[in-house]
Amino acid sequence: MNRLSKLILGTTIVVSMAAVSSHGVDQAMAAADLAEISAISVQAMANLSEAALSGDVEAIAEMNKRADAIDAAIAAAQESFAALEQASAAGDEAAAQKAADDLKDSLQKAQDALNGVIPEDLADAVEAWKNSTKNTGGGFGQPYDPPNMFDVPWNTGGARNFYQDQWGNLFASGRTYGGGESDGTPE
Amino acid sequence: MNRNSFLAALTVAVMGTGLMIDSARAQEPTLASVAQATIDAAELEVNNARAAIEKGKELIATIPEDSPLMPDVAQVVQAASENWKIAVDSLQGAIDSASKIDGASNDSIAADYALLSKVNAGVAVSGAKVVQIAIAYVEAIATEKTESLDVIRVAMQDALAGSSQVRFNYDRVKTLIAQKYSK
Repeated sequence: MNRLSKLILGTTIVVSMAAVSSHGVDQAMAAADLAEISAISVQAMANLSEAALSGDVEAIAEMNKRADAIDAAIAAAQESFAALEQASAAGDEAAAQKAADDLKDSLQKAQDALNGVIPEDLADAVEAWKNSTKNTGGGFGQPYDPPNMFDVPWNTGGARNFYQDQWGNLFASGRTYGGGESDGTPE
Repeated sequence: MNRNSFLAALTVAVMGTGLMIDSARAQEPTLASVAQATIDAAELEVNNARAAIEKGKELIATIPEDSPLMPDVAQVVQAASENWKIAVDSLQGAIDSASKIDGASNDSIAADYALLSKVNAGVAVSGAKVVQIAIAYVEAIATEKTESLDVIRVAMQDALAGSSQVRFNYDRVKTLIAQKYSK
């Protein structure tokens, strides 16, 4: 290869690099997307309060549904941003790019939800989550499971006897009046 | 075709592609025009909030001073006033950042100014929306729509949380951009 060819090849490479400039994943851009999603959630709340003021029950339910979908998108976006930070710190460009793409996807979902377009699977997931945390009056392992005051924890008989004896000793140590009255009673 | 001719043809082809990309870019909206569109949207919301404040002043006058909801009114008015200031300052920040896009020394700096402008506009929009929600709350009290108070109260709390998230992320964007140039 002569000098002219080398020069032309060098120029070609430089021009190609300038034309197709590749940037790493921009964390600032991702943080801006995160800010935009939060701004969308504020807009959803403004829409909800407007619906509440109108007194239209169906509109309130719809705006609540949209706000729930936006909350789900925010949660997903925050996870993506954390993944992006970790991948960038580890130098994993592919994983960082995937996380940035996921974040963009969440932003789009939030925007769609604000406009009333909620994917069915997301709506079902939100509904299932809400039902799972609904106060169903308790039951073993369920939310708001009330404590059983008659429950006797396993193998605690010795400890209970000890404390009862302590109380008995205290009671017995009190001064007694006349017919066996004490100044300190269990009541 | 010898090697030199082939390389020359390749150079011409690549440069031609570059020109095509440039002409395609020329048809795309520029950073400055996108920033201006975002600022326009934010300005609209800030103006809506301004109108809501005017309406709110009249509404507050109709609420009896001994109303049990007066402490609530005081609280939301305070939140509205703080967010109004944030909205106005951020809108100005967005305009300032956008004005520096065209004069930036390179594309990367221009893109960063555009990003700052966009996020600042987002802060302005969320602040303005919080003001609007606060005035909706006052309106519900003034017009005795007490059944909607619970919904608006929760919406206000969530909006305040969302608005602080927007500001937090704005600070994050600023820090990340500053880090880029301090290396």
